[in-house]
Amino acid sequence: MRLWQAIRRSVRRKTMAVVLATTLVALLVNAAAMLVYEVGALREAQVADLLTQAEILGRASAPALAFKDNREAAQDLAMLRARADIEHAAFYAADGSLFAVYSAPGASGGPPERAQSAAIDVDADRITLFQPIIEDRETLGTVYLRARSGLRERVVGYLGILGAVMALALAVAWLLSLWLQRAVTRPIQAVAAAAREVFERRDFSVRAEKSTEDEIGVLAEALNRMLADLEREMGERREAEGALKAADRRKDEFLATLAHELRNPLAPIRNALYIMQTARDNPAAEAEARAIIERQLQQMVRLVDDLLDVSRITTGKLALRRERVDLRAVAASALEAIEPLARARGHRLSVELPPEGIIVNADPTRLSQVFLNLLNNAVKFTDPGGRIEFHVAAERGELVARVRDSGVGIPPGMSDEIFEMFAQADRSLERSTMGLGVGLSLARRLVELHGGTIEAKSAGAGRGSEFMVRIPIPGTQAQLPVREAAEPLVSPASAVAQGHRILLADDNQDFANSLAAVLRRMGNEVRVEHDGPAALSAAENFRPDVAFLDIGLPRMNGFDLARRLRALPVTAHSVLVAVTGWGQPADRQLAKEAGFDDYMVKPVEIARIQALLRAT
Amino acid sequence: MKRSFTRIVVALLLLAPLAATGQALEREVKAAFLFKFLSFVEWPQGAFARPDSPIALGVLGADEVLDELLRIVPGRVVQGRPITVRRLYYGEPASGLHLLFVGRAAGSALPGYAEREGLLLVAEQPGALEQGAIINFVSVDGRVRFEVAVDAAERRGLRVSSRMLSVAEYVRGGKP
Repeated sequence: MRLWQAIRRSVRRKTMAVVLATTLVALLVNAAAMLVYEVGALREAQVADLLTQAEILGRASAPALAFKDNREAAQDLAMLRARADIEHAAFYAADGSLFAVYSAPGASGGPPERAQSAAIDVDADRITLFQPIIEDRETLGTVYLRARSGLRERVVGYLGILGAVMALALAVAWLLSLWLQRAVTRPIQAVAAAAREVFERRDFSVRAEKSTEDEIGVLAEALNRMLADLEREMGERREAEGALKAADRRKDEFLATLAHELRNPLAPIRNALYIMQTARDNPAAEAEARAIIERQLQQMVRLVDDLLDVSRITTGKLALRRERVDLRAVAASALEAIEPLARARGHRLSVELPPEGIIVNADPTRLSQVFLNLLNNAVKFTDPGGRIEFHVAAERGELVARVRDSGVGIPPGMSDEIFEMFAQADRSLERSTMGLGVGLSLARRLVELHGGTIEAKSAGAGRGSEFMVRIPIPGTQAQLPVREAAEPLVSPASAVAQGHRILLADDNQDFANSLAAVLRRMGNEVRVEHDGPAALSAAENFRPDVAFLDIGLPRMNGFDLARRLRALPVTAHSVLVAVTGWGQPADRQLAKEAGFDDYMVKPVEIARIQALLRAT
Repeated sequence: MKRSFTRIVVALLLLAPLAATGQALEREVKAAFLFKFLSFVEWPQGAFARPDSPIALGVLGADEVLDELLRIVPGRVVQGRPITVRRLYYGEPASGLHLLFVGRAAGSALPGYAEREGLLLVAEQPGALEQGAIINFVSVDGRVRFEVAVDAAERRGLRVSSRMLSVAEYVRGGKP
């Protein structure tokens, strides 16, 4: 039982047991069959031989018997001396009496006294026969022969040979099973050991040794491939988890930064308001306070703009509106926007712009945004009095823009990471220069949308950094009418078109009232309403030639209001402008279908309104 | 005297059956031998009229042997042929016979049958082979044996089996 258990547990012992058992059974069956056949054949041959001998003897001695010549008969029998196996022989006369006798030297006993009827008697080691001698139908007498068959010796000898053969065969079978073990069992054991190790140690880098090209080799290879797949997938999963965690961490940091950044401008604004309230008779202080409010407001608007862009990037809805624009104009608009801030921090700006007339197929607002983000970073991350270079050129079908500063630089190994969303090279929130950490990510996305690349280089922390943007611009030299790349963010309030009747419909009263105040200052007549039906009824009497309508109005949305206004005779030809927080293309399409002439996304820039009013 | 005479008479009376028995044995043996000879001899072509014609035996001057033959022969077949036996008288020709046994009593008649074609002439007297017999019974140590003249047999167109010659006491004129 224990042996059986031991065999069951091991492929090696199984194969050996099978080989040995098979060999043994085959040998035994073979030996038994051979023995039975051999003994049978031997007996048959011996009986046939003895019968022939009796026949020959009978025929030779027939005359001696016929003429009762004992002497002659005895001489005939004496010839049997040549046959060592014959112990006794005799002739009997026709009447059954003993006629002549032969006994081999040393043989015990003798022939019976009387003849018996024809018979062959075979026992373990002797054959005895009585054979009548018949000539011419006359029975002349009987031959008696008794011979050693030697069957026992033969069988013993045969068994000896079989035993030797069996021992040899078993030895060969044992050697074969050893070979089989090497060829089959060992590779299987190797595979099994590898599998066990994987399960016990959870180590997917373990590999089974592939030592054969047969099915076991295939098995080992399959196992190894599976392990490789598993290892790769586990690695990917770990990486993905790590990336998710990092993204999560960045998002948390971003939220903290966002709160901080949104909170930051509020204090100066409150201070400015206080100044305005308390120093009414001091125009200089009042002007300073207004400047503070405008700067802080601009900062907040940019923050919220960035936030909206972040949401577009994460939802994959950021799209370009390409047109043919002059590269110099785009670069100049970004420069224009950053100049005041750079001046404020005392930076020296070194600028190199391309000549006018290089036309590129790009989204001017977004391209300008890329430059502005890079410039803004350079200004922010360089201590006051630094040096900033801004080079834009078209080289060999490529737009190349470089922004180089003498600022804090980028720590080694972070030049890729800084492009990740919400990434901050310096995580201390105390720095006043802190942004939301989306500027570079946004810039990269925008450059990629333009089919270009952006890269950062730095000699290390504190040693300045350089950002390089490359965007392919195939066949851009054609001179075509150029659209103004971007309006200045703020233009002086002096150049104002006047005398418009303007209807403002917006449920955000602060927005509506403040915008109304601005428009009135520009010399327009303004009417404010806070819901759809009120705006509609007001329009009939007020007859506006321009209407700014919020899309998300209560009780009647902006689209419906626009349709009703278009239906009214007094406003059928008025300029209708949709004002919304939602800048989706589908919304623009809907607005166009509802009858709007223009579409503005909050926060609405005064400059755009001025431009619109000038054109009307 | 009387007693010794009586003794002799008794002895003779006792011995007489013994002598008679010896004679009877010799008679039987010779008849049996004559019959066996038929198995070892080949007669020439034309000695028999048909394939199943009987082998004809004749006996001259040996009535006891004749009687014995008549007793053992009926119903027996040699070389596919039945066997007939008849008595021959002095001077009677051996026409139609295949074997003729001439007894000692008629020994003088032996030469008369000597040159007959196809006749196996058997005798039982010393020097019979010289007088033309082919087979002659002799007595050796009180046992009946026989001698064969192969040359004589050949002259008469007969062939004697070598197997029979192997047990003959003496063979004349044959190949060794």
